[in-house]
Amino acid sequence: MAEVEETLKRIQGQKGVQGIIIVNAEGIPIKTTLDNSSTVQYAGLIHQLVMKARTTVRDIDPQNDLTFLRVRSKKNEIMIAPDKDYFLIVIQNPSD
Amino acid sequence: PIGQTSDELFSSQVHPVLFSAYKTVGFVFDENGKDVTPQPLYQPDPAAVMSKHSKIFASDTSGGTMSDFYSTAYQTTTNASFAGPFTRSVFGSSTVSRGSQSTMESMNEEIEDPSSKRDISISLSDVQVRREEVKELIKEEMLDDVVDRYLIESETLWLLHMPAVSVSVDSEEAESVKERNNLYMELCKNRMGNDKYVERSMQTFNGAPKTKEVQSEAITMVDAATTWDMYDSFRSAGLGEAALSPDTDKATSASSSRIEIEPFVVPSEDEPDPELVLQSEKFQQDLFVMERIILENIYQPKLAAYRQLPTLEDPDSVPKVVPTVVSRREESSLDEESTLTPALERLWSFSCELTSGHNVSSMAWNKRNPDLLAVGYGQFDFKDQKSGLICCWSLKNPTWPERVFTCESGVTTLDFSASNASQLAVGMHDGSIATYNVESREKTPVIDSSDCAHKHTSPVWQVRWIDHERGASGEDKGETLISVSADGRISKWFLRKGLDCIDLMKLKRTRNEKDKKQVGDKEKKSEALISRQAPGLCFDFHPTDSNIYIAGTEEGHIHKCSCSYNEQFLETYIAHKGPLYRITWSPFCSDVFLSCSSDWTIQLWRQDLFTPVLGFTSTQSAVYDVMWSPKWATVFGAVNEGRVEIWDLGASILDPTIVSLASPGVKLTSLLFATETDCILVGDSDGQVSIYQLKNLTVGEGTQVRQGFPTG
Repeated sequence: MAEVEETLKRIQGQKGVQGIIIVNAEGIPIKTTLDNSSTVQYAGLIHQLVMKARTTVRDIDPQNDLTFLRVRSKKNEIMIAPDKDYFLIVIQNPSD
Repeated sequence: PIGQTSDELFSSQVHPVLFSAYKTVGFVFDENGKDVTPQPLYQPDPAAVMSKHSKIFASDTSGGTMSDFYSTAYQTTTNASFAGPFTRSVFGSSTVSRGSQSTMESMNEEIEDPSSKRDISISLSDVQVRREEVKELIKEEMLDDVVDRYLIESETLWLLHMPAVSVSVDSEEAESVKERNNLYMELCKNRMGNDKYVERSMQTFNGAPKTKEVQSEAITMVDAATTWDMYDSFRSAGLGEAALSPDTDKATSASSSRIEIEPFVVPSEDEPDPELVLQSEKFQQDLFVMERIILENIYQPKLAAYRQLPTLEDPDSVPKVVPTVVSRREESSLDEESTLTPALERLWSFSCELTSGHNVSSMAWNKRNPDLLAVGYGQFDFKDQKSGLICCWSLKNPTWPERVFTCESGVTTLDFSASNASQLAVGMHDGSIATYNVESREKTPVIDSSDCAHKHTSPVWQVRWIDHERGASGEDKGETLISVSADGRISKWFLRKGLDCIDLMKLKRTRNEKDKKQVGDKEKKSEALISRQAPGLCFDFHPTDSNIYIAGTEEGHIHKCSCSYNEQFLETYIAHKGPLYRITWSPFCSDVFLSCSSDWTIQLWRQDLFTPVLGFTSTQSAVYDVMWSPKWATVFGAVNEGRVEIWDLGASILDPTIVSLASPGVKLTSLLFATETDCILVGDSDGQVSIYQLKNLTVGEGTQVRQGFPTG
């Protein structure tokens, strides 16, 4: 458990990391470093995106599954590690 | 004719909508109050109707229906015009006697074949009587019941009946009737092909539509039958694991879901505790990967430079005004601004809060994974010993080591095994040797030498895994661990009920012939013992002949030894005036080796010559480490206290080609070349391992170092 906390702290301290959100399977955030409204917004929107991405991957080959999703935009990059129990979302601006 | 099922007829009150519409017309009065209710067009003769019915009905009828039909006959026949849409036969006029006969026949045919119309008629009558009909709920058992259906003919509906009128020939009308008949015959004959009679289609008028708004509940769209959903339910229903094509999936799962509707319950999941989520292993794995990805984002240009990939500019990043000169200031390369001179470009450094303050004493690449680096931290001096540290760094994460091992005493040397790639041998300042398994997350060594009777009593200055291809002197083949220590022994370690060693060589003191047995000069370590042995500081095995090795001592002597003889040296090379810190064979030229020492010099030797071929001095500080480049035969790097130097013997033998200064206050202590790329790693006394890329170093081809060098 301590190792998880340490890793989270390290990630938070990396250059350009704007926020970390951990969301459970229902879309309720369990841990976040952003403010509440942003967290809820990210959680809801990303949930839909991941569902769509996962459906896409699995429709092509049902034995396959989604392991990681990166969305690179002009201002930052959103990295999502989905699982059936949680989503781990990190937002980073690498050129900060 | 309409076929009606008997039970529907009985169960309903036959008040067809249309019929009742006619019935409720009631009475119509014009403005004068006169009753102008339209009379029914046709007053049937009940008896006649009855007889006709009996004549026409050829097939079976149930008795009850007859009376019913009779009772409604008045209505049905009077409303024959309304029943028009339901009948398909046309009643022609009596003059077209042939036509009517044919229609009658066709009607008979239709009557005798009512079954085909059954479905249609049921639906039609359904439309009529839906309002009053009591709907029975269809239960599943009823689907299997046998229900009797009776087919009955309905009565014939007459629309128009013009009975034929016969006129006697003698009457006065006979002439006109005959004439009319003739005219009509003519007409019939001329009808074919006559322009007056043209087949034309008619168009029924469509009623004006009226828009009506309806509101329904929101329709939820569910992607129910996705390929993967079926695959999942198929697998969890336990009907087989074979990879079926989606088509068969659909077919079988459709049928199976019908059969197993009860047993297949979607497992309702309990809410996983958030704490559990955070502690699960998958989460840790994801965090691990995520950290690496974030770092990749940050370090991507540097890593690309390391791998010698072209570095691309991020198209979205705002160009920084801060120039890269800032970062260069640290090493303050003495080169000019021009980018064509060879230079060292600093890429990044491995350091974290754990390592700050520790002195980097040795570094080693993993033999199997060229991205994994082991760094040992420990003080060289006897004075300020702290606990040692070993960190395994991965290129993918320069901010935090993958493994951290703490040791009781400072680490002075380490080496990865080649045969067992995760085994790391470590030599320490207190003389003990340990091996660690870096694959596991255990913090303790796999084995260490503290229990060994012959263990070293002084700091182990170098360990190396040596692969003996040929069993030297009957020994077993395979890899063995060799160590050299300040107690003057070179030992070979192997595992036999614990770590045990035998001595390959005792480094006897070989002072000048004048004073052989003289007590040695004050050693570097404050050892008070008079020892006949000289502390060994470094050794290196010959790259091709694993029997021969050279060792350097604190006295400044280099001894060439063989594994077969453990009493005598083969050769001794004397030139250095101080302890030798490193000695290394050239990987390209098997006769040449380099040595560096605290007497500020680096010497280049040839095996068969007893004086160095070349000597290199650049500054007045001890040279701690020297290493040949694995790629170029004439290039080697050296590290002294204040700077790192890259020498290219093909370019110049007097001056280093590249010089890079250390940050003030920091001493550089160790050097390592990267095997596949043009980078070097420099460790310093502050715990940082910096990676530099060699830029613009153009080295001539050829591996012959000896060319052009004075012999002897």
